[in-house]
Amino acid sequence: MMGEKIRIGFYALTSCYGCQLQFAMMDEILQLIPNVEVACWFMLERDSYEDEPVDIALIEGSVSTEEEIELVKKIRENARVVVAVGSCAVQGGVQSWEKDKPLEELWERVYGDAKVKFKPKMAEPVENYIKVDYKVYGCPPEKRDLLYTLGTLLIGSWPEDIDYPVCVECRLRGNTCVLLEKGEPCLGPITRAGCDARCPAYGIACIGCRGAIDYDVAWFDSLARVFKEKGLTKEDILERMRMFNAHNPKLEEMVNKIFGGVKE
Amino acid sequence: MKNVYLPITVDHIARVEGKGGVEIIVGDGGVKEVKLNIIEGPRFFEAITLGKKLDEALSVYPRICSFCSAAHKLTAVEAAEKAVGFTPREEIQALREVLYIGDMIESHALHLYLLVLPDYMGYSGPLHMIDEYKREIRIALDLKNLGSWMMDELGSRAIHQENAVLGGFGKLPDKSVIEKMKEKLKEALPKAEYTFELFTKLEQYEEVEGPIIHIAVKPRDEAYGIYGDYLKASDGVEFPSEEYREHIKEFVVEHSFAKHSVYREKPFMVGAISRLVNNSDLLYGRAKDLYEGHKDLLRDTNPFANNLAQALELVYFIERAIDLIDEALAKWPIRPRDTVEIRDGFGVSTTEAPRGVLVYALKVENGRVSYADIITPTAFNLAMMEEHVRMMAEKHYSDDPERLKYLTEMVVRAYDPCISCSVHVARL
Repeated sequence: MMGEKIRIGFYALTSCYGCQLQFAMMDEILQLIPNVEVACWFMLERDSYEDEPVDIALIEGSVSTEEEIELVKKIRENARVVVAVGSCAVQGGVQSWEKDKPLEELWERVYGDAKVKFKPKMAEPVENYIKVDYKVYGCPPEKRDLLYTLGTLLIGSWPEDIDYPVCVECRLRGNTCVLLEKGEPCLGPITRAGCDARCPAYGIACIGCRGAIDYDVAWFDSLARVFKEKGLTKEDILERMRMFNAHNPKLEEMVNKIFGGVKE
Repeated sequence: MKNVYLPITVDHIARVEGKGGVEIIVGDGGVKEVKLNIIEGPRFFEAITLGKKLDEALSVYPRICSFCSAAHKLTAVEAAEKAVGFTPREEIQALREVLYIGDMIESHALHLYLLVLPDYMGYSGPLHMIDEYKREIRIALDLKNLGSWMMDELGSRAIHQENAVLGGFGKLPDKSVIEKMKEKLKEALPKAEYTFELFTKLEQYEEVEGPIIHIAVKPRDEAYGIYGDYLKASDGVEFPSEEYREHIKEFVVEHSFAKHSVYREKPFMVGAISRLVNNSDLLYGRAKDLYEGHKDLLRDTNPFANNLAQALELVYFIERAIDLIDEALAKWPIRPRDTVEIRDGFGVSTTEAPRGVLVYALKVENGRVSYADIITPTAFNLAMMEEHVRMMAEKHYSDDPERLKYLTEMVVRAYDPCISCSVHVARL
């Protein structure tokens, strides 16, 4: 990819726009920009086109309307590499927290019996609809996540996932353990590292905003046991773990193990 | 035979936060219809946090918006503290406002330089301005970096601050960091003044001149600021924050996932210009001088004045943050956090987010959120914004459609809308 300009697009589904903002706020962007051509980035560029071919498509936000399903399909068709950026695109975001409630119930609570002309749906991760090549985790991602991902792709290499939990970085930083020493419901043990244990360094329990480490590695069950011993109910534990992991297929099954409710 | 009119549409307004569009239908003899389509999906924040533990809900609310996540966090925390009957110490309150000002500085700098200025300089976006407007881009990044750094230090990060919690902060930075913050703020002041000068020279578009009702928070402590327990309208009416629903009505429109609001049956405006209209008598320092010298441009009848008002606020809030830091330093060392007993109750917080009045009303029962109503500045502004887009369209509907689109987008941009914020949702 060296030598010629790489075409990139930054696309938003339903989100808080924080991933794009994090990206836009990097001073380093001034060094990156001469190497890329921006085909689409509505937040910063009026001449943006959602249906042009790009080398790298960065997508933030969850798929939350029927219209957005069509949009992600179109982006996939036009892109060589698709990167899901941030917890909404990767895990469905906090708006998935109550994903098991009927959409009608949430709608009624907020909009009453009023209708709008667009078609809402329950939020989902991008990969439920299209193949995603790479993921950038976090709510929002750290700047170095974005630089690492784009930097490696721009030199023709590929970014690798982190497969160890926040606890590793927390120990290296020498923080007091929020879970064991302060007794708070810290999600560090199941959450993907890369933030340098930012919240525990402030004495605050991890809420899991980078999402769980890979499904077969995250020890939801083990952590649920610790939480249970501290007096949390199964529903308390599920609620906290679902905040950024609502679509995780293993979560409930593993927590159930601790509460004796394994479904066969 | 029925006439068929083709709408002039901007499907996705660029250089704003969130996804929205403008649709203008021109028929025989003029503009028939103007709609601001808010197409970003619904996120049901109030509904998904119902029944949730208070601290978890407080972590989720800032995710409504990244451009003003500190505003959401601090307003939600204050509403929660009011609900459970806790009042933070003065020095904690001062440091929270400094954190909030970090958000204000970052947000205003981004809006003015990266979202608004390209229109005036003839560019489609800031990335093309890097070569010709090096100084401006540098100032934009310097001011933005200052605001972000303040939020990093006091809030744990620039977007979605976790270090603002019930009772205070998880941890406070060292005294030396707070002293450095003061120095950096002082260094930034000339850059803010340069920004103000730059924006005094820009076109104000008289097409959209007309009476506007402005609503803003009535600041506490007799100084132009962010926190307050009353709302104040430019028609002279003041009311306690708790009574917001008696004065401001919300309703759903079919072309938008965000609701519209009216005050006494009429659209109204919130934001930097609304703060100035209602509270300019509380300005002090350099900002007061600048205000006195440019009252003619900072008038209450034109939404474009909001841009200049934001520039003025950059100057003001930098000076205000320095004063608040002095107040905190005088009490150093500061205990970061008090224990908050979670009792049942109801609390309303109204603060000034970068884009205007932000309302959080929370009811807490058994440690969980049992009622949540959040109204964001953009939701307040949508009806008025649509009116101003209509005024612009009525003057220019026979122009080249590209020019009409461009002008109407500029009207929308002057409001600095935060569309993600507006699609949040409130109970009816």
